[in-house]
Amino acid sequence: MAKLTIPRQELMYSGHAACPGCGPALAMRLLLKGLGPRTVVSVPASCWTVIATPYPTTALGVGMLDNAIEATGASISGLRAAADALGLGDLNVVGFAGDGGTADIGLQSLSGMLERGTDALYVMYDNEAYMNTGVQRSSATPQGAWTTTTPVAGEARGKLEPKKDIMAIVLAHHPVYAATLNPSFPEDFVRKVEKARERKGPRFFHVYAACPPGWRYDSDQTIELGRLATYAGIFPLYEVEMGRLRITRRMGQLKPVEEYLKAQGRFRHFSPEEVQQVQEQARARWDDLLARERAANPPERAAVPGEPASPALPPPVAGEALGRT
Amino acid sequence: MVFKVLSGNGAQAEAARLARVQVIAAYPITPQTTIVEALAEMVASGELKAQYVKVESEHSALQVCLSASALGARTYSATSSQGLLLMHELLHWASGQRTPMVLGVVNRAVAPPWNIGADHADTMSQRDTGWIQFYPESNQEVLDTVLTAYRLVEDPEIRLPAMVTEDAFYLSHTFEPVDVPDPETVDRFLPPKDARAILRPGVVSRLGSFTGPDHYVGFRHQVAEAMDRVLPKLQEVESEYARRIGRVLGGPLVGYRTEDADAVLLTLGTTSTTARGVVDDLRSSGRKVGMAKLRVFRPFPVEAVRQLARTVGRIGVLDRSFTFGALGPAASEVRSALYGIPSPPSVTSFLSGIGGRDVGPQDLRRVFEALLVSEAPGPRWMDLETSGEVAAHG
Amino acid sequence: MLEIRFHGRGGQGAVVASELLAQAVFFDGKVAQSFPFFGVERRGAPVTAFTRIDDQPIRLRSFIENPDVVVVLDPGLLRDTPVTEGLKPGGLLLVNSPRPPEAFSLPLGGRIATLDATGIALGRKVGTATMPVVNTAVLGALARATGAFTETSLERAIISFVPSHPEENRAAARDGAEAVRTEPVAPSTVAPAPAPPAAPLPFPEGPMASRPSHVLHTSSWRTLRPVIDRDRCTRCNFCWEFCPDDAFDLDAEGYPLVRLSYCKGCGICATECPPDAIQMVTEA
Repeated sequence: MAKLTIPRQELMYSGHAACPGCGPALAMRLLLKGLGPRTVVSVPASCWTVIATPYPTTALGVGMLDNAIEATGASISGLRAAADALGLGDLNVVGFAGDGGTADIGLQSLSGMLERGTDALYVMYDNEAYMNTGVQRSSATPQGAWTTTTPVAGEARGKLEPKKDIMAIVLAHHPVYAATLNPSFPEDFVRKVEKARERKGPRFFHVYAACPPGWRYDSDQTIELGRLATYAGIFPLYEVEMGRLRITRRMGQLKPVEEYLKAQGRFRHFSPEEVQQVQEQARARWDDLLARERAANPPERAAVPGEPASPALPPPVAGEALGRT
Repeated sequence: MVFKVLSGNGAQAEAARLARVQVIAAYPITPQTTIVEALAEMVASGELKAQYVKVESEHSALQVCLSASALGARTYSATSSQGLLLMHELLHWASGQRTPMVLGVVNRAVAPPWNIGADHADTMSQRDTGWIQFYPESNQEVLDTVLTAYRLVEDPEIRLPAMVTEDAFYLSHTFEPVDVPDPETVDRFLPPKDARAILRPGVVSRLGSFTGPDHYVGFRHQVAEAMDRVLPKLQEVESEYARRIGRVLGGPLVGYRTEDADAVLLTLGTTSTTARGVVDDLRSSGRKVGMAKLRVFRPFPVEAVRQLARTVGRIGVLDRSFTFGALGPAASEVRSALYGIPSPPSVTSFLSGIGGRDVGPQDLRRVFEALLVSEAPGPRWMDLETSGEVAAHG
Repeated sequence: MLEIRFHGRGGQGAVVASELLAQAVFFDGKVAQSFPFFGVERRGAPVTAFTRIDDQPIRLRSFIENPDVVVVLDPGLLRDTPVTEGLKPGGLLLVNSPRPPEAFSLPLGGRIATLDATGIALGRKVGTATMPVVNTAVLGALARATGAFTETSLERAIISFVPSHPEENRAAARDGAEAVRTEPVAPSTVAPAPAPPAAPLPFPEGPMASRPSHVLHTSSWRTLRPVIDRDRCTRCNFCWEFCPDDAFDLDAEGYPLVRLSYCKGCGICATECPPDAIQMVTEA
């Protein structure tokens, strides 16, 4: 048998109620593979409330606690405190919240948890809108995207405002570990989960979570879309450990964003100018990451004054086309 | 046992220490602050081995306690007024998720306008959240009630949350001697929390869930049934407390000189103490009056109130808050409890002590006098019949 | 009063169909009442909607337990959803299926009508290839098969209220009306056992949910199923790795096996398979 590159163990049950091709379902599956059974997951009102199936069934092979939409950060602080008080120090305490429950209504609770230094992992699965209620915009919705509350009609061109930069907000709290994850890169995904599992202190994941009905694309494209997102610099993969940034999926050259945008109905109205704007933002985002990585990892020899430091990038890894490390 | 001079807030903190709470989470608000400060001292000194989670809001305080309780820890939090209102959604979660816990609430007026005086609007507006509510009248009773509340809420038959209130300043910042039981005796009364029925790590279990119309009503009904078991269970718990600690708490409705009374005044919290003195005074001048303290407002002690009403011609209910568009909240409950009994007494709603207005013996004497001459349903805003000048500077 | 119950799957437009029907009935000058059973529908999950039609005000606000007409937007639902439960004897069962009415049965007797609404929707490009929206074709068939509302009013409702591709939807409705075939069915000679009286739902386990969800099957959610060509398979396990429904097992030799009770037919496995060893085929 071919060697598996991610753990075989399944802690998410079939029979769950996610839509076909659901990114958040795959994200949970990979997350639990990396965490293992000594885990309790706190889930606010979000798609996963429903995906986990109605009483008396549950789709998680670990403990799951439902919590109010705005309170995930506090919930995992409480779980951690109880675990420590009860001698369950080895328990993985995880919050698994959507972008609305994290970047909008749950932001205060997230900030509190990070600032308190809670020893827990907070996962924001980002499907870029309120999907559980039927595709209303959130602060994490990309600029220009169609949602039911940012229609495209007449003068209206979708969401006016840029996507909230949750990683910047989180990093301002100096967590021990923060990373971006994408289920289209399962080995990178699971490696980051395993790394986070071994750290003590507040940890944060920003997870790309594609949504076929909300983003208006065919369900078989979920993985391919995720690859495009990363290769185009829309959703670069990196990790920040004790303030040091490292890009975990390196691209010599970014793919054009157009292919990514054209694949989704929510961007179908984009003009060439709007595509160009996204292209420039992706470029700037990627350049910024490269600069931050260089700043965090200065070359061994001091650069000669007046000469730019070279960004010593390793060569592309074999199998890149298939999205593997 | 040892007497300590404690404030009501000190009594809350002492009780939490004696209960060996494992997780504390709180956010400061006047006049609750001295509770959380005292607990912080106890944890810092090692006197109390607990995880103290300093949260960024009352909302998070309650969520921390909820999740910690779900995993099996004994939790404590305290708040007041606006803080309790911010917790509102999570109050429903605590009862619905069946996570037992005790919450100290210093009863304070609700803004606007800002006012930090004693007032029951904060807890009364949470009466439908599935929480057990106690309204003690002394710091001793605060301590005893917190300890009995833990034993009550953690009973597998109950598993509901409880709030133990204290009137702002009249208890929270009033110092008086409190008989503090020794820890070993309390340990025998209150063994460590049985966490078996709670979310277990590493085991397939989901606490909360979502349901269609098929099972939702079952969840609601289970909470209702648990609430129905509270008063009989409280009797057991209080008997056990009396046996071990030596103090009788008296159940949900504690009457005083009601046997042959023509008129009885029902009170909540600190006005009960003053009312007892006024009853004695009026009795000595030949007026046949009595009083009864509603110690427990949720579940409402319907049977005890009906029992009382059998021998009484007139009942007055003294509320420290008002339900807009109706009566004082306790008055409405009393009227409802008495519906259908043969020849029911009249019920008059009196409002007194709103927003920290002082309620002295003269005020209560006026209430009794009004009650003796009229069967009008009210509400009578007694505070507006006096100048209230003292309270205006409070 | 005529009572109609729609059975569909999230994304097929069952709920919109009942709304459009209400609009058409209104244009006919009659009284209509349409409402969904409002759950938390996922795309592909079974959904139910109801419509009542009458000449006078409707004095009921409750689910339809004994419909005169049952409309099934997806034949896959017949596999494990009791769609005809409560259908009145002599009632009409309308199924979106390429098969003839004779392929279906009604134990209590009545009429069965069928049309290939999926084929019509694909032909008229209503919806997408993986999720054709069949509701307007089915409504056309419903108008023709029941006569309860006029095709003119239906088309007017479609043109007025369908937000995208109204002309294609109108064409689909016309196709549906032309395509529907209705046949009477005699009751089965063996009378079905009367349904036992509904018992109160048990509430067994307290507040904790502790049964794994794999007791729930989601096979009825899909319209396509993956078929693996073992000869082409290289055992790379991408299908297993990327499946959001954990619907793959690996056999002793490392070949993937589809667990069809759970597969929702999203098609990720086929799209991601490097040697193209997986094909998505239409469910019968």
